[in-house]
Amino acid sequence: MAKGTNAVIVGGGVSKFGVRQATLFDMVQEAAKACSDDIPALKPEGIDGLLFCSTKVGRHSNALNTAPLIAHRLGLKPTSICTRLDTLCAGSNTGIILAKGLVESGISEVVLVTGAEKSYLPQRWETNYTELAVNDHDWDSAMGLGVPPPFFAMIAKMHMKRYGTTKEQMARVSVANYNYGSTNPKAHFYPRTLDLETALDARLIADPFGLYDCCPLTDGASAVIITSEERAKDLSDRPLVYIRGTGQHATHSMSAGWPGETLAEWPHLKRAAEVAYKNAQVSPKDIDVAQVHDCFTISEIIEMEELGFCKKGEGGAYVASGALNLDGERPINTDGGLISCGHPFGASGARQSLELCKQLQGRAINQAKNPKFALAHNLSGACAQHTVVIYGTEPVE
Amino acid sequence: MADLEEAKIVGTPALDGRYISEMDMWPLECQEFNRLYQFYDNLREGRFTTTKCQKCGHIAFPPGVICPKCWSEELEWVDLPQRAKVVTFTETQAGAPIGFPPPIIMAWLNFGKDSPLKHLLGRIINCAEGELKEDDEVKLVVFEVPSHPIEIKKDTKICDRVYYAFERVK
Repeated sequence: MAKGTNAVIVGGGVSKFGVRQATLFDMVQEAAKACSDDIPALKPEGIDGLLFCSTKVGRHSNALNTAPLIAHRLGLKPTSICTRLDTLCAGSNTGIILAKGLVESGISEVVLVTGAEKSYLPQRWETNYTELAVNDHDWDSAMGLGVPPPFFAMIAKMHMKRYGTTKEQMARVSVANYNYGSTNPKAHFYPRTLDLETALDARLIADPFGLYDCCPLTDGASAVIITSEERAKDLSDRPLVYIRGTGQHATHSMSAGWPGETLAEWPHLKRAAEVAYKNAQVSPKDIDVAQVHDCFTISEIIEMEELGFCKKGEGGAYVASGALNLDGERPINTDGGLISCGHPFGASGARQSLELCKQLQGRAINQAKNPKFALAHNLSGACAQHTVVIYGTEPVE
Repeated sequence: MADLEEAKIVGTPALDGRYISEMDMWPLECQEFNRLYQFYDNLREGRFTTTKCQKCGHIAFPPGVICPKCWSEELEWVDLPQRAKVVTFTETQAGAPIGFPPPIIMAWLNFGKDSPLKHLLGRIINCAEGELKEDDEVKLVVFEVPSHPIEIKKDTKICDRVYYAFERVK
């Protein structure tokens, strides 16, 4: 493959997300099958690179050097790359960033980026206990920081105090995302819809979060194909979707290193986005549709601000204005986001990016009107790292 | 529902009664496994400390064996403030990890403008649900946590451990 090509996302597939009666390997096979259904010309022997993205696999599936196991189960014999990536919640969008580099440098030709997570174990306590290893174990986790709701609840309280954000504005996010997800058969909570009253009346998880403010833990897998624009034309007749620019920014692993003035400011997301916008040669106003990391409703509100879709502090009013809807200014999380699809960590990024690929190809279930640019975002861990990938229907000049 | 005790349902008999550090909720603190053992020894003496770089003066938290600012190895242990203000906090209703009985109270702590450690996520103990308020002052508390064994040739050494949290200044 000649250097100087542009990397594109061709298509992909996801397994059913939810509380699954399946192993991690079952679900990766389901996602690969869905990917091949989406790209019928794709054959296992035509894939020369595999990036497998998963965090809990070492503990929850008793498998450490996992990429060769995945390659075997999918009938792949990779020759350019075959490895596992662990970036927690940003796993497979990290895989897409690396696949772009591999393809554009000529190291790889056709890369399968697949992410998967098996969250549910025979006893629920073990699933929650694993979360202690997901944070900075010797420092924050030993303080009791396990599952994320307490940390993000403090972020929400701070945002409410500083900027006047309300529970009702937060509930608007879950209502929008549940209603998008009610049309996505792969979503954890398909076909459930949600109204504002139910969202506000939900049982308390961690004040101020009710049940619907939080995404669930989910089992699931996703897979997408990243290749050069030349090879993509052999695989599919659909419009090309270019990976225009990316950014990933980590500032700290534990609470003592938090970079913001308070928990309500996320300068590390702002920085990751600046890098991605610059590489993609676009600005926030160019983004027509986005998939952002709605692990909690407050996350989506702050992301609207730090990604530059509205002014700092106005995220609550922005989401309540209807801007997220299909007829709004910028449809967000059109497949249901983490709140409705669920969040199998390593699988979420490719699930988001596949939805954006479909949006830019004009074939999404909840299709935005003629989008030209799209943005995917993940945060990882206790909001320690941010990952941004920007797509477009034309390459960067 | 089967009676687990009576039916002796045990998935991994080989591990019965064994310490598994991979599932340990506390750090491995002893000198045999951790170059920062001094931090825990200092805690035992009621000191809350970290490492300061003798080259550039940077005070890091958590402590380390190099300075994260200039990568110098010339470090010294210095004391940190033991009192902080509660900026905001949360009392978890659901999903607390086993070993941390609910409601677990966690607070975002501010150590003040002059502290090298600006803020920290801290667990608040010795406090009933509903008692803590924003702007409350809290102070360091050190307590024993379960010990663990280490194999040394054919013998077993027991490592005692401590950890820290915060409580309200009344």
